[in-house]
Amino acid sequence: MISLRGVSLIYPNGVRALDGVSLEIAKGDFLFLVGHSGTGKSSLLRLLYHEQVPTSGEIIVDGIRVDRLKHGRIPALRRHLGVVFQDYKLLTDKTVWENVAFAMQVTGAHTKDVMRQVPRALDLVGLAHKSRMFPSELSGGEQQRTAIARALVNNPKILLCDEPTGNLDPANTTEIMELLLRINLKGTTVVVATHNQAVVDRMRRRVVRLEDGKVVTDEERGYYYLGLGQGQILSG
Amino acid sequence: MDWGKVKFFLGEVLRNFTRNAGMQATAIGTVAITIILLGAFLFVRATLAGLGNDILSQIEVSAYFTSDATPHQEAQVRAALGRDARIASVEFVSKKRGLAELREQTHGSIDTSLLTENPLPDKLRVKVVDPSEVPAVAASIQKMDGVANVVFPQTVVARLLALGGVLRRVGIGVIVTFLVVAGIIISNTIRLTVFARRREISIMQLVGATNMYIRAPFICEGMLDGVLGSLIALVALVFARLWLWPKLLLALPWIQLNATSVNGPMLSLELVAVGAAIGALASWISVGRHLRT
Repeated sequence: MISLRGVSLIYPNGVRALDGVSLEIAKGDFLFLVGHSGTGKSSLLRLLYHEQVPTSGEIIVDGIRVDRLKHGRIPALRRHLGVVFQDYKLLTDKTVWENVAFAMQVTGAHTKDVMRQVPRALDLVGLAHKSRMFPSELSGGEQQRTAIARALVNNPKILLCDEPTGNLDPANTTEIMELLLRINLKGTTVVVATHNQAVVDRMRRRVVRLEDGKVVTDEERGYYYLGLGQGQILSG
Repeated sequence: MDWGKVKFFLGEVLRNFTRNAGMQATAIGTVAITIILLGAFLFVRATLAGLGNDILSQIEVSAYFTSDATPHQEAQVRAALGRDARIASVEFVSKKRGLAELREQTHGSIDTSLLTENPLPDKLRVKVVDPSEVPAVAASIQKMDGVANVVFPQTVVARLLALGGVLRRVGIGVIVTFLVVAGIIISNTIRLTVFARRREISIMQLVGATNMYIRAPFICEGMLDGVLGSLIALVALVFARLWLWPKLLLALPWIQLNATSVNGPMLSLELVAVGAAIGALASWISVGRHLRT
């Protein structure tokens, strides 16, 4: 579903954000991308939805050669992907319903599809009863669920989450992670970049660890730190 | 037809339009001022051109035959001129009629009874379709057999034609300058509204909206600015035409300005179209700049 081969990203100021990253993510995978801030997690996600172009290497997402994508083909790629951010990126002057519908309407979807898909997405995230509220009237967790509903409303095969729980308390974090798991169980490939150790250690999913732009570990059913569970102290 | 789509689109345009009311007012005002200046300029230009054309259209070319020209030669010249597409009308004035006209024009101040014979030659009075071709037509008549000389108000024609040329060139320069300046100001205003909505644009890009789709509401917004601005300008121009223009005419009685040559409805339509076009173009450019970065 997602394949990176020897991908490097060097910023114009010379900073090497990614350094020869190779990674295969299968259809239906649930993968944590972990590492300290600035180790290239977000950069890697941005490459996948063509917000950034790699300096070298090959990126294939759902059969599309992203690293060679022509400008005019970017919208088509992004309709296959849902993206969720730490700061939700909701439109404050639109209701929950309108925020979710927006993703379909601006891609030219038919109204009857919008009317069918939006309630479905809101049901999935459990916000059908708050569809007429504005983001400012919601909790952080609810706002993030709205953002997830928006990311899913076009039925993407892949959901990319960049620190989805970064602004949330533990209770809301658990709620969001359970939601992501449910989405994954329905067959959507989910990639979550996070530095929330508790979440990663509790979920026991595939963990890819980045350090200085390189993949240092890649474990099935891994922990945040290699081989170490929650509560264990890492010295040095 | 998917009315839901239409409703969403118009809703977005309207929402954006009302949300940045201050900036919209700036853009509309800019268009209005531009269109007022442009409209006033076009009106004055058309009036001056009309004045020149009025004079030019009355200009006649007189072709005098030699005194020994045969009726056959005269008939040939008339026929040749009749075939010339540049010529609107040819009138034959016999020497007899010429004398009568002369008598009439001079109101008897020349005593023609002293003449033992009519000294006037036969002549042709020629009107030309396009005033700018008067010199050329005169020159070609001059070359014909039996024609002694050709007379037309040469300096008047030359000056009026030169004036027309200057008006046209200066006019194009002024209009282009107006439009470019207005375009820059409007596109800057629109850029502010684009900037105010950068979050929305980034979300649209994120979910896979095409650039065309992102642009469309902005372009409609720019057109709306343009149309509203030019409508305001039209109100001001119509007011000026109905109220100020007669006063101006009274104040300048020695100039025979004639505004009837100005096609008011057509000019209004053109001005609104120009307003809408600069609005749309300015939006296109400023959104395009944003989308590329």
